Amino acid sequence: MIPSWLPVVVLVLPLLAAVLVGLLPRRSPGLAHGLAAALLGAGLCLALWQATAVLGHGQAFVGPHATWLDLGAFTLGVGVYVDAMAAIMAGIVYLLAVLVLLFNRWYMHDDAQAARFPWQFCGFVFAMLGVVLSDNLFLSFCCWELVGLGSYLLIGFWFAKPAASEDPEYQANKGQGARGVLESSLSPSHAQLKAFVTNRIGDAGFLFGIGVFLVLAIGLGRGTDALGWANLRQVVQDPALASVSCFGLSGHALLVLAALGVFAGAVGKSAQFPLHVWLPDAMQGPTTASSIIHAATMVAAGVFLVARCYPMFPPEALAVVGWTGGITCFFAATIACVQWDLKAVLAYSTVSQLGLMFVGLGAGEAAGGRVAGLAHLFTHAMFKCLLFLCAGAVIHACAGHQDLERMGGLRRRMPVVAWTSLMAVLAIAGAPLFSGFFSKDAVLAAGLGAATAEGGLAWGPFVLACAGSLLTSAYMLRWWFSLFGGDERDASVTHHAHDPSGLAKWVLLLLAPFTLALPWTAGGWLEHALAAPGAAHHEGAHGANDSHTLDAHTLGMILALLLLAVGAAFAVAVFGRGRRELAAGLARRFAGLHRCCAELWGIDRLWHRWFVRGLGQRGSATAARIDLGSTQRLAALEAGKPGPDDFESLDGIVDGVARVCGSLGRGGAWFHGGRLGTYLAVAIGIGAFGLWWGLQR
Amino acid sequence: MMLLAAVFGPLLFAVLSLAGPVRAARWWCLAGSALTLAIGGAALWDFVARPGADFRLQVEVPWSQVLGASLRFGVDSLSAAMLALSGLITLVATISGFAHERSPRSYHGLVLLLLAAMNAVFVTLDLLVFYVAWEVLLVPMLLLIGLFGGEQRRYAALKFFIYTLAGSVMMLALLVLLWSATPAEGRRVAVPAKAVAAVSVDGGQTLHGLRVERSDQAPGAAPVVLVPRSFDLRHLALQWQSWREVRFLGMPLSAFGFLALLLACLVKVPAVPLHTWLPHAHVQAPTAVSILLAGVLLKLGVYGLYRIALPLFPWEVYTWAPTLGWLGLLGILWGALVALGQRDLKRLVAYSSVSHMGFCLLGFGSLTFAGLAGGMVQAVTHGLSAALLFLLVGVLYDRAHHRRIDGFGGLAQPMPRFAWLLLVAALAGAGLPGLAGFPGEFLGLSGAFTSSAPFPLLGALACLSVILSAAYLLGMVRKVVYGPLQHQEHAQFADCDRRELLAALPLVVGLVVLGVWPKPLVEALRPALEALLLHVRSALS
Repeated sequence: MIPSWLPVVVLVLPLLAAVLVGLLPRRSPGLAHGLAAALLGAGLCLALWQATAVLGHGQAFVGPHATWLDLGAFTLGVGVYVDAMAAIMAGIVYLLAVLVLLFNRWYMHDDAQAARFPWQFCGFVFAMLGVVLSDNLFLSFCCWELVGLGSYLLIGFWFAKPAASEDPEYQANKGQGARGVLESSLSPSHAQLKAFVTNRIGDAGFLFGIGVFLVLAIGLGRGTDALGWANLRQVVQDPALASVSCFGLSGHALLVLAALGVFAGAVGKSAQFPLHVWLPDAMQGPTTASSIIHAATMVAAGVFLVARCYPMFPPEALAVVGWTGGITCFFAATIACVQWDLKAVLAYSTVSQLGLMFVGLGAGEAAGGRVAGLAHLFTHAMFKCLLFLCAGAVIHACAGHQDLERMGGLRRRMPVVAWTSLMAVLAIAGAPLFSGFFSKDAVLAAGLGAATAEGGLAWGPFVLACAGSLLTSAYMLRWWFSLFGGDERDASVTHHAHDPSGLAKWVLLLLAPFTLALPWTAGGWLEHALAAPGAAHHEGAHGANDSHTLDAHTLGMILALLLLAVGAAFAVAVFGRGRRELAAGLARRFAGLHRCCAELWGIDRLWHRWFVRGLGQRGSATAARIDLGSTQRLAALEAGKPGPDDFESLDGIVDGVARVCGSLGRGGAWFHGGRLGTYLAVAIGIGAFGLWWGLQR
Repeated sequence: MMLLAAVFGPLLFAVLSLAGPVRAARWWCLAGSALTLAIGGAALWDFVARPGADFRLQVEVPWSQVLGASLRFGVDSLSAAMLALSGLITLVATISGFAHERSPRSYHGLVLLLLAAMNAVFVTLDLLVFYVAWEVLLVPMLLLIGLFGGEQRRYAALKFFIYTLAGSVMMLALLVLLWSATPAEGRRVAVPAKAVAAVSVDGGQTLHGLRVERSDQAPGAAPVVLVPRSFDLRHLALQWQSWREVRFLGMPLSAFGFLALLLACLVKVPAVPLHTWLPHAHVQAPTAVSILLAGVLLKLGVYGLYRIALPLFPWEVYTWAPTLGWLGLLGILWGALVALGQRDLKRLVAYSSVSHMGFCLLGFGSLTFAGLAGGMVQAVTHGLSAALLFLLVGVLYDRAHHRRIDGFGGLAQPMPRFAWLLLVAALAGAGLPGLAGFPGEFLGLSGAFTSSAPFPLLGALACLSVILSAAYLLGMVRKVVYGPLQHQEHAQFADCDRRELLAALPLVVGLVVLGVWPKPLVEALRPALEALLLHVRSALS
């Protein structure tokens, strides 16, 4: 087995790199990139060693564990746990991190801020590895939040850029895809805030889920390492679970709530409907940052977490997972079809593909959903990273232009980018022999299996995933043909274009083979490795009703091919053959639908209206008015006058009470004001009253 | 002796600062806070190294034989943590106030006076001294805000003074009642054997300096101690049952006493809706005073709940715990929502304090170990993060002479170090794991989840605060330091200088250390908190 220090080093190395590189002088971006890449490269070797050892051994490795806090009724721990999925994911994270960092050296070679990138990037990688390698839900949550911080820093890398509405460069270059984008709040600094706060909405659910898991663990007397994976698995399997109750909810209902809470976190991080709005904006960051965010870190964290917590997800929660995935998969694909910003297409394709992964996860263990979802996560990481690096190369080559409409014919000027990105496009579309074919087929097969097994509503995610897949091949080929196919449409944009030089080119060439199916399917190693623990027993059952699963598999494969063929045929016919007016005609014909998709289904605007303006501006302003009073009152206080609206706010009540007390005091003071007449009158009055009172008796 | 030094040292320095040369004043202030930090740090370290529920460094100077009041000083881990915090925050405030040019003698003298009073509150074991120090510290605070504050300093200072005084004046009535309810010859009180074993330092012979009598006839009976009439907190706590039996105004004395104390503490914390003095005081106070106010003064309320309310009135604390929890939740959400609507930097930070201190109430009310620990940890860590935020707002005010959030923008370019510090402070406030805002919040939440109804519901609702805190703090960061430079004249702003960095450094280090590894602090607090929990449990049985 592997030495116990290995996973710890694999986890901590990027943090060390972040600290070391962060201490380097700011003037040497080359050194910073080199040192960071070297350290991450060393980490990659260790991660590969770890992966081969864990996969070869076929057993999870339980690493060192320490108690973070002992809180009487329960304890919280920190430690590492490496099973097959963690080992593979860690390897992929490292591989992509090294490659993206090397690519970034070329991408940012003329950026004065470039030296800041490597250490933030390394910190980001560390946080993601924490989510992957953690041995309990608590540590996962901590690293999960740090992933959010990493994305915050990277998205806001060019924080000084103005909002798009005030940016002449953006206004001059913006394509038609800018529709539906809220330009006044589109800038790196807005995008980083939006990403963080949107993620925090999910994280509130995550915290809630952790809280409910704590309730369950303590209710069952399993407080030691309460949130550890092993402990939670036992909590779920405990026959006494049904006896736990809280607020009249049974143990099972609590479990569903806890799982949905954790899933809410995943919805935020993995950009699922309705919390997907941050991801397209996040492209305000450097494209290299996008390529890692969209591939191996950040969005992958949500899918990974759900897969990690799979034993804790009851069927009800999995149904929600599947439906969320299905809806996201479909609607994001429709949006991707009409975007004209070359990165926006990729962003919505990521949202859509993540939805597909959740469809897979939602299908359940029995239908092979977990394996399919994870397989798609891994293959997607590779080809999406490659796609974004190619997009970065194109944007760099075209001097910052991102409008698909003005590109074209780039395959002659940048052949390496063109052909490697074509491989990635074919992979994401799911063409045979490419990795996407293998994993997407698995997801569709799992969805079909679950749908046939359960029937009824379970068909929903599957149908939506099919529709999404159909669109995927269409919009991705449209993307490729618009960039690289046909002839140059706007020479002013593309005439300087050339392939990236040196290492950056090799990064693309190195990533390209991973878009093929062979590295993933050779000997069925991936499915083997990811198979549920106790697989031997499972495989026996597998063999018994092989015909049934084979059916779903074949059907899934045929379906995937069919969807690919239809979408691809459309894209080739319209965009490959230069009949772009056909697409414009279609858009006119279905103007309403087109508008709806171009306006992002109005979801961004709804969030803006209800959350940003409603709660964030009006709601908080109302609260502030109730608390300290109206602006007039505050202005009066500033001017040194008593507020005019006492008793109309919490603070006004305080001042009002003070004023009433003051008036009472002044009233009382009238009696002893030193005026002889008053004293006489009071004395006569009291005397008269006494006389009258005495006479009464 | 050390504790006498912690109280009378700053007092002596205050006199020296007021009477001595102008240039020496700031150094006396520095010496006073460093002395406090050294004593508090040493005491806290002692509890980390040898955890225990006992009071250490005890010293007693008789004051009034008739009243049974004396200068009884002693620290357990709760007070040691608070003393260290008070020293650290005052040190930071002093460094940040070094540039203060207007009458430094009285300014630093008043800060030292405030420090002496705060330290007295934290180390005293005598309720009378506690009350006197609690009220006395209002005076230097009143003068610091009223003399050195902004435009509306008189209004804010008076409001602060009268509001907090009105909150705590009922404590005086409580003192009189407790005194008159004890017979002159003392009271015999039965103490559960478990409690004796937990607290006694000499194997059950004595308890808080009182001889434990065990009946030979009935070996199973609870030990008995004769408690004299005094204001010793530990002796008052032994008689908690008697306070429930004595009646006053038709209700048990304990109920009246608890409510009086609760009011005093809730105003200080401050709990919504008794919080509106805070934004005025913060906005008008000079930077260093804001740092002291947020960093230490607000913690007095929390400390009072732990030190006085729970030991003296455990039954009432238990019955009122859900109310405390609801108040905590209200503070958390309302404070955050109002903070989101602020346009003044200092007011925003003030309301963030209201929100964060809500976690102390929520954790305290849950009456679980996690919650109680969370309340204390949050009190300490909020001291650090709020102090850092106010320090940075002060840095900005020194340069721009205004605090309007929309009057800034893009300051990360001229002031990169400031931008990083502000980001760290905001993230700590937003409860990012790895920084110290997180352990307190998480422990408070998990304490609520694992307590009895209605606390799980309160915990679930309190989770929403992570959205709001990120929105208002990082939203503020975005508007102030990110984006393009809004005002060209801001391009000339100097980045944080060495003095400002020196003031921020201990806070940042503290935030990171406590955020990553809070275990030593929690372990040091454990025995004292467990003794408190045991006390509540024995009151229930």
